[in-house]
Amino acid sequence: MTSKAYRLVILSLYVAMALILSYIESLIPLPLPIPGAKIGLPNIITLVSLLTLGWPLTLLVVIARIFLSGFLFGGGFSIVYSLGGGLLSLLVMSLLLHFFKDKISIILVSVFGAISHNLGQVIVAAIVVQTTSLLLYFLFLMVLAIPTGIFIGVTARELMRLLGKTTIFSKLNLPQKK
Amino acid sequence: MKKNEIIIIVGLLAVSLIGIAAFYLINKTDSPLSVRVTRQGEVIGIFPLSEDRTEIFTDATGFNTLEISDGTAKMVEADCPDHICVKTYPISSPGETIVCLPHKLVVEVITGDS
Repeated sequence: MTSKAYRLVILSLYVAMALILSYIESLIPLPLPIPGAKIGLPNIITLVSLLTLGWPLTLLVVIARIFLSGFLFGGGFSIVYSLGGGLLSLLVMSLLLHFFKDKISIILVSVFGAISHNLGQVIVAAIVVQTTSLLLYFLFLMVLAIPTGIFIGVTARELMRLLGKTTIFSKLNLPQKK
Repeated sequence: MKKNEIIIIVGLLAVSLIGIAAFYLINKTDSPLSVRVTRQGEVIGIFPLSEDRTEIFTDATGFNTLEISDGTAKMVEADCPDHICVKTYPISSPGETIVCLPHKLVVEVITGDS
């Protein structure tokens, strides 16, 4: 199999896995009075994808996941908010990985990803309902984003470690990571 | 994970917690409070928080039932798909909000009684 076709296979796998995680996440309601708080399970895949395929292909993974899960499990309007969060989160995580590649752990990238995901969503929500009073709401989400971000980061790191032992990534010509 | 990353994470946590505390301290007031309801930035109603009442807001997209009782406001019913507004905790301090994204409705506690 050519390297290009192999990338396409991995890419499709990521989209499928992220979609399943979105679905699982929609089944777990957090017992918190903060509406819209989520664990961010699909971000595990976004992180792994960023580390293995790079940001241009991860952008495809994120957009495909958001549109598919939006049409399948959410109302159409939820896509707009997910896009705001997903794209800002991806941008922040890509920049962090680009500038501090070897100096930053996946966990910290994940925490910043979680916070920026909330920020993106709150910004889109503030524009849609035309209010500026969502600051308090964002701060509550930010407190929650830190533990969930750490959890997602640890999971992504362990997943990378386990997958690194297999040959699944060997055809992607990854830069060796310790 | 290195030591300075833990410091960054603790710092972020501190910033958000201090932010929340500061928000409540700055907005703390003894003056009477009201509930302002806006749809897409347009004020559609202001109600004193001290008076118990139930208001229903309807438009083409659906309805939301807001209940004010014991100095707190809560969305008790809505026909939006996600019910996020209904799950939001009751609000009673200035600056707290309940948002219904599908109906573009914002309920906010404000200072003042008009």
